[in-house]
Amino acid sequence: MNRLRRHALFFLAVTVAGIGFSSQALSKVDANAEPTQFVQQVADQALSILKGDPSVKSGDIARINQIVDQYILPYVDFQKTTRLAAGKYWRQATPEQRTALSNAFRTTLVRTYSGALTKVDDGTSFKILPFRGEAGANDVVVRSQVTQMTNAQPIQLDYRLEKTPSGWKIYDINVENVWLIENYRNQFSQQINQNGIDGLIQALNKRNQSN
Amino acid sequence: MSIKQTDASYAMNPHSSTDKRSCAIARLAGIAAVALVTGCAGPAGTIPNPNDPWEGSNRAIYQFNDEFDKGILRPVSELYAFVMPQPVRTCIHNMFMNLGEIWSAINSTLQGRHEDAINTWGRFMLNTTLGVGGCIDVASANGAKRIPNDFGVTLGVWGLSPGPYVVLPFLGASSVRDTVGTAANFTFNQIDVIGSISDVAWRNSIYGVEVVSRREALLDVSKTVDRTALDPYSFIRDAYLQRRNAQVQGNTALVQTLPNYDDDEAVEEDKKALGMESPKQTSKESK
Repeated sequence: MNRLRRHALFFLAVTVAGIGFSSQALSKVDANAEPTQFVQQVADQALSILKGDPSVKSGDIARINQIVDQYILPYVDFQKTTRLAAGKYWRQATPEQRTALSNAFRTTLVRTYSGALTKVDDGTSFKILPFRGEAGANDVVVRSQVTQMTNAQPIQLDYRLEKTPSGWKIYDINVENVWLIENYRNQFSQQINQNGIDGLIQALNKRNQSN
Repeated sequence: MSIKQTDASYAMNPHSSTDKRSCAIARLAGIAAVALVTGCAGPAGTIPNPNDPWEGSNRAIYQFNDEFDKGILRPVSELYAFVMPQPVRTCIHNMFMNLGEIWSAINSTLQGRHEDAINTWGRFMLNTTLGVGGCIDVASANGAKRIPNDFGVTLGVWGLSPGPYVVLPFLGASSVRDTVGTAANFTFNQIDVIGSISDVAWRNSIYGVEVVSRREALLDVSKTVDRTALDPYSFIRDAYLQRRNAQVQGNTALVQTLPNYDDDEAVEEDKKALGMESPKQTSKESK
């Protein structure tokens, strides 16, 4: 009886693992799908990677960076995020400054979210909320809700997406009613006004190195 | 404050910490004139923010709050987090939040958001009974998220504009409208439960625990702000204004409240095309 149960358990485990693998292999992100589906696919893929990775839980920033690079950033138009945050100053920046600024800002944001990403566990669930935009629009908002622990408030996360020739790209994110770009615009212009664009790049890099 | 004045004050006072402290004291004492004479303006080169005309004094109070937080409130909250196991902290926090639901629901009603009000009352009743006096947030676990609400939002829904941004001593980010709201919140929130405890020592102890519990729940958030903000003051201000605006607009208006990032770029472009220069650039060049 006992052995039978063990057999059954083993069989079950193998089946579950098999399903897990096959669904993981299938979950390629389709950037031309409906925006809600696209976000769901990106989130599912990233979550399954994060949940299965022990070095994420131990707060390994290098590994988190790698995951963000591989599974999140391909679906983000980061240049646009930086351009909009810099506002009118973007046109004053040289191509080198633009690249340096995008990279520095990107590191800042990965730092922002790496803390949250280390908290992803098996209880983390992600739910897309009903779509409210127009069906054919090229600039849309996808709303979602993330539940971290069973006994905590879910967090509202919204994504702003634009349809590009290569499919949907996320360019802004809203955490509990606060848009990311909007929240960096004044800080950017303040820095640029004081110390120029290079000053802003320096300030970001300095921030990124401190704790 | 004009740009010229800001520049002048920067020349006299490039961010020395002792000056900042005396600014804080002057501002806290409410002696605006003294503060002006000693040169307490916003940071150098700051474009006057239309939402924050009192930036100089706000920054001073912000700094005072920050020092109070770093010196007292945060260490106490960290100690609390260290000695109390997570489930106990969550339970205590949930209980305070649960008591706050009553005032939230009343405000939802005052705003004509009856669905929110019904949901909040439902949460309150479910969590008070099944959730053992609010200790367990059963409602959230069943997908009914808390709908935070207060009298500042009510005034906004009734048509009051927020007015300038204000940093209140100890309480932090606010606006003129929300300061009025906060006064009402203090008066009416929990009037029924904690406020009705007649033993002063008991009542004040419970208020103390509430402050620590609320601060503890925000430890992660404040750490993130410290790690990522270029200027924590601006970061908190802009987040606060965005969030309050969204709360007043309500969830249904989300599409309309989307920020329009391209706007001032386009205006700038048009001005250039017409051969006009914005006043900001002129002042920068003259500097």
